[in-house]
Amino acid sequence: MLITKAFSVQPHASALPEVVWLPSQLTVDYTKCTGCRICELACSAKHEGLFQPSLARLKVIRYDDLGIDIPNVCGPCEEAPCVEVCPVYAMRRDPISKMVFLDHDKCILCKSCVGACVNGVIRLDTREMRIIKCDHCGGDPECAKVCPTGAIQYGPISSGTTFERHSKIASYLREIEHSAETQSSKGGS
Amino acid sequence: MATGGYTGRILRVQLDEGDFKVDKLPQEWIRDYIGGDGFAAKLLYEEVPAGCDPLSSHNKLIMSTGPITGTLWPMSGRTVFVSKAAQTGIWGESHVGGFIGPELKYAGYDMLVIEGQSDKPVYILIEDSNLQILDAGKFWGMKTDEVTAAIKREHADPDIQIAAVGPAGERKVRFSALIINNARAAGRTGMGAVLGAKNVKAIAIRGRGAVEVSDHEAFTELAKAAHMRVRTNPQAQEMGKWGTWILTAVKQEIGELPTYNHRTGVFPGWEKLSGDYIRPRYTVSDRACFGCSLACKKMNYVREGPFAGTLAEGPEYEGLMAFGSGLGIADYPTTLKANEICNQYGMDTISAGATIGFAFEAFENGLITTEDTGGLQLEWGDSQTVIQLLEMMGKREGFGDILAEGSRAAAERLGRGTEKYAIHVKGLEVSGQDGRTHRSIALGHATGARGADHLRSLVVVDQLGYEQVARERWGADKLPEIIDPYTEKHKAVAVVESENAYCIRDTLIVCWYSVSWPPIFWMQDFADMLPLATGEKSFGDVKNLTKIAERQVTLKRLFNAREGITRADDKLPKRFTHEPMPEGPGKGQTVDLEPMLDDYYRLRGWDLDTGLPTEKKIQSLSLGWTKKYASSH
Ligand code: SF4
Ligand code: SF4
Ligand code: SF4
Ligand code: SF4
Repeated sequence: MLITKAFSVQPHASALPEVVWLPSQLTVDYTKCTGCRICELACSAKHEGLFQPSLARLKVIRYDDLGIDIPNVCGPCEEAPCVEVCPVYAMRRDPISKMVFLDHDKCILCKSCVGACVNGVIRLDTREMRIIKCDHCGGDPECAKVCPTGAIQYGPISSGTTFERHSKIASYLREIEHSAETQSSKGGS
Repeated sequence: MATGGYTGRILRVQLDEGDFKVDKLPQEWIRDYIGGDGFAAKLLYEEVPAGCDPLSSHNKLIMSTGPITGTLWPMSGRTVFVSKAAQTGIWGESHVGGFIGPELKYAGYDMLVIEGQSDKPVYILIEDSNLQILDAGKFWGMKTDEVTAAIKREHADPDIQIAAVGPAGERKVRFSALIINNARAAGRTGMGAVLGAKNVKAIAIRGRGAVEVSDHEAFTELAKAAHMRVRTNPQAQEMGKWGTWILTAVKQEIGELPTYNHRTGVFPGWEKLSGDYIRPRYTVSDRACFGCSLACKKMNYVREGPFAGTLAEGPEYEGLMAFGSGLGIADYPTTLKANEICNQYGMDTISAGATIGFAFEAFENGLITTEDTGGLQLEWGDSQTVIQLLEMMGKREGFGDILAEGSRAAAERLGRGTEKYAIHVKGLEVSGQDGRTHRSIALGHATGARGADHLRSLVVVDQLGYEQVARERWGADKLPEIIDPYTEKHKAVAVVESENAYCIRDTLIVCWYSVSWPPIFWMQDFADMLPLATGEKSFGDVKNLTKIAERQVTLKRLFNAREGITRADDKLPKRFTHEPMPEGPGKGQTVDLEPMLDDYYRLRGWDLDTGLPTEKKIQSLSLGWTKKYASSH
């Protein structure tokens, strides 16, 4: 059983596009997340005026068999694939806040960004046919405010947090796998 | 007129025809029953004929949600399964946390009703308006975690919520459960057997729609403030850290930790079953149900010993009791393993543990022997035997086949006076409380609509001595008796009032741990919130909410009455009424049930002799319509 595979860390791309310093970002500590999805509810409540997690700008993935919950938020992306991929420059980075935002007037709904987002949090709303994407609530993120555990925070960060959180999970799983193997080689079941 | 909260639709799965049907949710149901349990009681009474076999095609399995299910209100992710109970043949209900209730709402339905019987194994897929009954031949025989993973893989969607039947439900083990996404159980009264008998292996739900409340802004502000109340409540913070394990030490201290099949209320090995001991050694993560800022669920990992490698959630306090103190086992990994087996096979932990306890005690007293057990020696504290028996029960193998009937039916089959060790009420095994050292629960166990229940009317205010809360709720004139665990006096007042509040809790539906213990929200909080959610002004009046609750309790009673239940069935095992508590702080205590029953019926407006609702009460609660369905169809 290779449970670590799902979390294997992607190597850095060798040719780095634009790398920028990010003033304030959403950061995630998965070890604190309980998977309650209050953040998804609050995001949809704020931006859509209803309770609809499928339209939230962030996504919590629950692994019930492993007991791990991972909130996926927009960023932090030093290099933003959604910006790189957008053919019409509808997805852009704000020069001051460095936040990636979507210019709805320019968007041609090609959906390239949906596939390119490293955290899978750009979505297509099929009812209103529009792209929905986190805008950091204009600098006052609702999700970070409602999160009861502090798993989502907002503030300046050092780079590499995303990678770090994935490697933490990998090491947690390695420990479990290791003990499981030791056990089975001892003849346990 | 309700304008928000509900989706307004009931989805029916008609297995006989292999079809689906969508009905409109009647407005008067909303007004009279709010949702959840209430809707289900109305539907079950009208549509399931009196006297029918719970495992026949006439029975229905109802899944029901409430107006705030799927919203930001704290801990509003719970859902209820209702059916004529496979285990007891009377009113059956089982609530469960997790995420499946909200998912049904997002798919566009308030309720799901499964009717008829399929002639081959199937599973039901509900994906918004994409509704399918699919072949489950290849899933039959799988454990619940296996079928859950298989369905998610098949539809390439990790967010599908799945309620599954395990091998126990397939074999109609009387206390088989529905297991939601690996570790949440609609455990009690045998919902697994009802679905298994219908040849349905699983219900898979995925919704992408919305829940819209009536006044979004005001509701959202109130909900956020409500979350802060949970987050800043000191007892809730403790619950978040220790989960229900916090109860072990509390119950040991007050002499109410059921031990050796409820023989006594103190357990020498309790420390190894307490949160303080378990968490630092075994817990790897804290987890929550939908919309819960408390997070009482714990993922645990056993590093060494015979159960090394076990990675599983649980058990709750009730599981620690059922497989720990109840069987004389002072070992957490055994309870975790036993809980995992129950989840995988789909069995209720409380009834499974209690039925094993019954067998242990009957064996100890020589009423059954190795001839009955197929050579197995049954002995208190023997972990391996417990694990072995659980698997035998799940598969209905050998002696496990008899135990799979639950303690009451097993005692009937074995005879020889074994029934005195079957600790149940109306066929449902007694949960982890003891009326001898907590008098109000004796009344709750005896009168609970589904049998010996700890979730419909358990009063914690007396148990834990919340004097201030008692004064506010019941008046200073009832102190000190009402919080004295050793007296029958005033206990019916506390039970009725709590049962009413919990009824509203179960119509919304919100978690026990925001209402009951610690007492964070009560009637007034719901009266403040419900009109914002639904637009129904009459929900803003506590008096009206109380009446709705009374209606619900009485309707469930009428359902049971139709199945022949009377005052004579509202009784307790002799252990609580005739065997004095042998040791601990409540040494010498027994329960005097009858005076509490009198008080209870009086407060409920039920007849003192028969224990049945009086005509006057039936009329005043607008339940006259039940007459139409009074006998079998
Ligand atoms: S969908 Fe819109 S924003 Fe996304 S890549 Fe295409 S044009 Fe750009
Ligand atoms: S920052 Fe705002 S928009 Fe982005 S995920 Fe959080 S709540 Fe949603
Ligand atoms: S609100 Fe916080 S703890 Fe809850 S799912 Fe979101 S990130 Fe995790
Ligand atoms: S308190 Fe526990 S059971 Fe209740 S909703 Fe929260 S996590 Fe679920």
